[in-house]
Order: sequence, then C-alpha cells, then structure tokens
Amino acid sequence: MQVQELVGIVPWTFVAQICNLFLQMYLIKRFLFKPVNEMLQKRRAMADAEIQDATKAKEEALAMKTEYEQNMQQAKAKASDIVTEAQKTASLQSEEILKSAAQEASAMKEKAESDIAQEKRKAVNEVKNEIGGMAMEIAGKVIEREIKEEDHAKLIDEFISNVGEAS
Amino acid sequence: MDIEITGGRIFYTFPFEVPVLGKFQITETLVVSWLVMLLITGLCIWLTHDLKVEKISRRQAVAELLVETANKFVIGNMGEKFRYMIPFVAALFATSVVSNLISLVGLRSPTADLSTEAAWAIVVFTMITAQKIKTNGFGGYMKGFTTPIPIMTPFNILSEIATPISMACRHFGNILSGVVINGLIYAALALASSKLFGLIPGIVGDVLSKIPFLDVGIPAIMSVYFDWFSGIMQAFIFCMLTVMYIANAAEE
Repeated sequence: MQVQELVGIVPWTFVAQICNLFLQMYLIKRFLFKPVNEMLQKRRAMADAEIQDATKAKEEALAMKTEYEQNMQQAKAKASDIVTEAQKTASLQSEEILKSAAQEASAMKEKAESDIAQEKRKAVNEVKNEIGGMAMEIAGKVIEREIKEEDHAKLIDEFISNVGEAS
Repeated sequence: MDIEITGGRIFYTFPFEVPVLGKFQITETLVVSWLVMLLITGLCIWLTHDLKVEKISRRQAVAELLVETANKFVIGNMGEKFRYMIPFVAALFATSVVSNLISLVGLRSPTADLSTEAAWAIVVFTMITAQKIKTNGFGGYMKGFTTPIPIMTPFNILSEIATPISMACRHFGNILSGVVINGLIYAALALASSKLFGLIPGIVGDVLSKIPFLDVGIPAIMSVYFDWFSGIMQAFIFCMLTVMYIANAAEE
C-alpha cells in the first residue's frame, strides 16, 4: 500500500481539512451549543419568572398585611366606639332609671301623703260624727227633751267648728 | 531488523488530476478525520438529547459544563464581542483533542499529518489578518508592517508569516514526535524481547522470541506523556494562541 510522506502537505487533504474544520464547527454549533444555549435561556427565563412571581407574591402579601392591619385598626376603633357608645347609653339609661325611680318615689310619696291626708280627714269626719252623736246623747240626757232635728244639727256643727278650732 | 516510520497510508487515489491540487487521495488522515468528526458529533447529539430545564441528568450536566467552559474560555480571553467565535474555538479544540487521543486506540492521528495543522493554521491566520484589517483598515494594516521604523518591514513580514507556520509546526511536531518515539520504542522493545527470549535454548526459545512480550506495558507509560499530556496540551495551546492572536488583532 502506498504511503504519503512523513512530513509534507498534501493539497487535497489540506483543503479537505479546512472544510472539515468548518463542517465540524457547524455540527458542534448545531448539536451542542444551540440546544444547550436554548435550554439555558429557557432556564434563565424560568428563574426570572419565578423571581418575578416571588416578588409579586411578596407584594401581594404586603398589601394584604397592610389591609389586614388597617382592618384591624378599624375594627379596634369601631370596638372602642361601640364600647364608649355603650357606656354612654348605659350611663344615660342609668340616669334615666334613677330619675324615673326618684320620680316614682316622689309620686308614691305624694300619693301616700294625699292618702294620709284623706285618711286623716276621714278620721276627723268620723270623729266629728262620733262626737256629734255623743254630744247629742249627752245633751238629750242633760235637757231631757227632744230638740228638733234641724236645731240639733246646727248645734252640732257649731260645736264641731268650735272643737275644730280648738284642736 | 529494519523499522520504517512513514506518513499515513493512502487508501485510494482518484485517477483524474486537478490542476494545482493534484490527484485526490483518500488518505488515512482523511478517514480518521471523518471518524473523529463522527465521534464528536455523535457525542454532542448523545449529550444533548432530552435536555431538561430542571432536574438535569449527569449527561446534561456534562453538556452544560462543556458549553459553559467554552463560553468562559472564549469570552474570558477575547471579550463579549467575540461570542460568535465560541463554536469555532470549540470545534478546533474538540477536533484537536479527539484527533490526538484517537492514537490511543491504534489509529493514526490526523494531527500526525502536517496538512491538518497547516489547514487549521491557515484558517486561523486568515481570521487574524481579517481581524487586523477590520480593526485598523487596510491602510493601517499595511502600515503596521513599517513600525516602529520602516527598516523593520522585512522582519515584520517574516514574523507575520511565522505565526501560522509556528502554530502548525508546534502542534504537528509534538504529535509526530509521539508517533516516532512510540514506533521506535515498540521496535526496540520487540527487538529486546526477541533477543532476551532467544537466550532460551531449543524450540521454546524460538517460539517465545517471536512474541514481543516487552511491548506490553512499557509503551503505555510513554503514552501518558506523548498521547495524553502532549495531545491535550497541544490542543489547548493551539486554541489559546488562536484566541490570543485574534483578540490582540482586535485591539486598536
């Protein structure tokens, strides 16, 4: 079999090797760099998207937190409002109750007083009648005569009014 | 005992002759080159099939590592604007390394043929020159030869031409030296083996002396330097020089 020289340039081999080098460059580009770079690109995009998502989620969480805090504050304010309102109402009511109680009490007192006065009057009248009767009996016994009924009543009245003035 | 160290075998010569280029020959260099290309391309396809964005396989990690290393090497040495050079430098390195290491399986390295390195060096030289012209303009490029003083012009031209020649010959010489020394060592050890076992008298000695026992083992140690170290080193140096020369040419 023929052999080529140990050191020497074969023109065709030279040309073929140039072509081979560029062909190899294309093949490496096509089969190694292109797919790997595409994949790396995709991964980078994914990482970016994830970071963005995370940032967004964080922002949302923060917004939610502020909202929550605001709500809490509002609720607290509302609660304290309600409490003050309730306290106010309660004190008002208690005042009213006290007032009405006092009124009632005074009304009751008045009624009792008027009752007492009436009773007193009644008692006085009864006493008057009793005393009249007694006086008539005593007078009848004393004079031993019948006095007309009219004079009788007159006399009693006079007597009583004198008694009333005296008492 | 005669030993002969020759160039690559010629498998077939096409009968027709092309002017300047001569007859087209299918040489060992070309066949092994194609094999190398097939290997590299097959490896690329195998590494990059079924790529995933997350939960990557070890295979994909290797592919990513290769790409990242090539990116870092080119961009680190040449800058971001030479991103388009990455596949070329990667192809150069891959072809060189695989060509150098394919001698481990007993094939003849395509890089043990000066035509291969000359082809690569010419391509690189063309790129360097194109970059220089692009950077300084054609006038600036021509004027560059007369610096620092016009008398230096011949030396400048010489040094310019020396670039591709030195690149090609450095790589070729290292690989060829490996081929030559390995050939010599195999032959010498075979001779020593035959003489050593020839000392055994009778038919046993005759049979044993035909088998080169000493060829087993010892050449492997030489191979560590001449194939592994030298092969990877030269590929790296070639790519490094390519990158450096082109990056220098791009500087104002």
